[in-house]
Amino acid sequence: MLALKDVGKTYPNGVHALERFSAEISPGEIVAIIGGSGCGKSTLLRAIAGLDRASTGSVTLDNAVITSPHAEIGIIFQEPRLLPWLSVADNIGFGLADLPADVRRERVAAALARVGLADKAVAWPRELSGGQAQRVAIARALVPQPEVLLLDEPFSALDAFTRRDLQDHLLDLWADTRPTLILVTHDVDEAVVLADRVLVMRPRPGRLFERITINLARPRDRKSELFDTFKRRVLTALDRSLDRSVRDVTDKSSAGEAMWW
Amino acid sequence: MAMTVDLPALEQTAAPRAAAAGWSRYARPVLGLVLPVALALGWELIVALGYSNGRLVPPPSKVFETIVALARSGELWRHILATLWRVGAGFALGVVAGTVMGAVSGYWGLARRLLDPTVQALRAIPSIAWVPLFILWLGIFETSKVALIAVGVFFPIYLGVMGAILSVDRKVVEVGRVFRLSGFAMIRRILLPAVLPAYVVSLRVGLGLGWMFVVAAEFMGASEGLGYLLIDGQQLGKPAQILAAIVIFAILGKLTDWLIEVATAPLLRWQDAFGARGGQ
Repeated sequence: MLALKDVGKTYPNGVHALERFSAEISPGEIVAIIGGSGCGKSTLLRAIAGLDRASTGSVTLDNAVITSPHAEIGIIFQEPRLLPWLSVADNIGFGLADLPADVRRERVAAALARVGLADKAVAWPRELSGGQAQRVAIARALVPQPEVLLLDEPFSALDAFTRRDLQDHLLDLWADTRPTLILVTHDVDEAVVLADRVLVMRPRPGRLFERITINLARPRDRKSELFDTFKRRVLTALDRSLDRSVRDVTDKSSAGEAMWW
Repeated sequence: MAMTVDLPALEQTAAPRAAAAGWSRYARPVLGLVLPVALALGWELIVALGYSNGRLVPPPSKVFETIVALARSGELWRHILATLWRVGAGFALGVVAGTVMGAVSGYWGLARRLLDPTVQALRAIPSIAWVPLFILWLGIFETSKVALIAVGVFFPIYLGVMGAILSVDRKVVEVGRVFRLSGFAMIRRILLPAVLPAYVVSLRVGLGLGWMFVVAAEFMGASEGLGYLLIDGQQLGKPAQILAAIVIFAILGKLTDWLIEVATAPLLRWQDAFGARGGQ
C-alpha cells in the first residue's frame, strides 16, 4: 500500500507548489491525478518517486518511508528519456545491471517482444518514432517489475492515434503484473479510460479538490454513454476546481460525490 | 514526319543516377583538392616557364625533392621522431592533467569555485609567455619543451571536460537517479558516455594546439625536430627546406587528428547529429 500523508512542497524560491496532499492507494490500483497547470501534480509525482523530497508530510510504501528513489517505484516521464548511447535492448535492460547477463538478456527479449519491438533490439534510440521510443521507456520501467509505476503525462507529446494505442497497450502490460499505477495527466479522456480513481487537483497552492471513482468495467468503450458521463463528471470537477468560491470537496469523499452525482 | 516516343530513354534515367551517386562519393573529397592542386601546378608552370626564378618560393617539385633528399639521408626520420615524441609526451601530460582537473571541476562544485578562477586567469596568459620561465626552471632541453606543449594542450581539454560535464542533460542524470545509480556507477554509466562526444572534440582541439606549440618549443633552441628544420632553413636561406617541414607538419597534424577520429568513431556511432550523417 502506498500512503501519502499531508505531503506538501515549498520550493526554495518560495513557491508553494503543493499543500497537505493525502491519499491511500491500494496495490494494483490505477489512479489518475488530473488538474490544470500549476496544481502541483508533477511535484507530487516527483515526491512519490523520491526524486524531490517533500517539505512536509510523508510518502510511505509498505511502511518504508520514501525519501530517495526506491527499487519498487518506477517512473515514466513525459519524454522517453532513453539513453542515446545505448541500443534499444540495452536501454530496456538498464535497470537490470545487477542480474546475470543471461537472465537479463532473457527478460529484455521478453519485454521487447511484449511491447512489439523485437525487431528494434539493436536499433539506436534516434531511429525510433515517438511512440516506439515511449514504448521502450515503458518497457524499461516495467522490466524490473516495480510495485508502483508512476507516469508523468507519458503520452502528452504523442499524436492522438498513437496516444490511444499506447493507453490500451499500457493497460495490457499492467495486467501482466498488476503494479499500482499513478498517472499524472491533463487529458480527461486518458484519465477516464485508464483509472479506477481520478483525483482532481486545484492550483495555487496545489491541493486535492475531489476524488472520483470510475467504476466502469474494462475494457472501456470510449464511445459509450457511461464513459461520457464519467468524462462529464471529471470535466465538471475541473471547472469547479478553478472556481475560487467552491470549497474543496475531498473531505466529503464518496458521500459528497453521491450528493451531486 | 511522324511523332516517335523514345521509350528506352525513359528507362535509362535510373542507371546514370546510380552512377552519379557512385561518382559523387569519390568526387566529394577530390573536390577539396582542386584548388591546392591548381595553385601548385600553376606555380610549377610559372617557374618552369621562367616567369619567376622560384628562389624564395620554390616550386612544388623542388619541395618534394628536398623531402626525398632528407628522407634518403635519414635526417627526416630523426627530425620527425623528435617532434612526434615531444608532441606525444606533451599531449599525454596535458590530456591527463586537463581531464582530471576538468572532471573534478565539473563534477564537484566546491572544487570548481576553488580551482576554476585560477585556471581561467592562467588561461588568459599567452602560453608562449611561459617560455623564458620554463627555460630557467626546466632547462633548455626536452623538459621545458614538453612542458610548454602540455600547457597548450591542457586548457582546451580542461575547458572541454568541465563544460561537457556541466552541460550533461539533467533529465538523463535523473534517469540514473531513478535506477538508484550513485557515485561511480553514475559516472560510468551516465556521465562518461554523455560527455564523450565533447571530450573527443576537445582532444582534437588539444592535439591541434599541441602541434602549434611544438613549433614554438622547437624554436627555443633545438638541434633536431621539424621546428629545427624551419629555423635552420631560415638561417641558411633554404626556403625549400622550410616548405618541406611545413608540408610534413600538415601531413602529421592531419594524420594524428584522423587517428583520434578513427579510434573514437566506434564509441560515437549513436550520435544523432548533422555531421554524423554526412552533412549536406
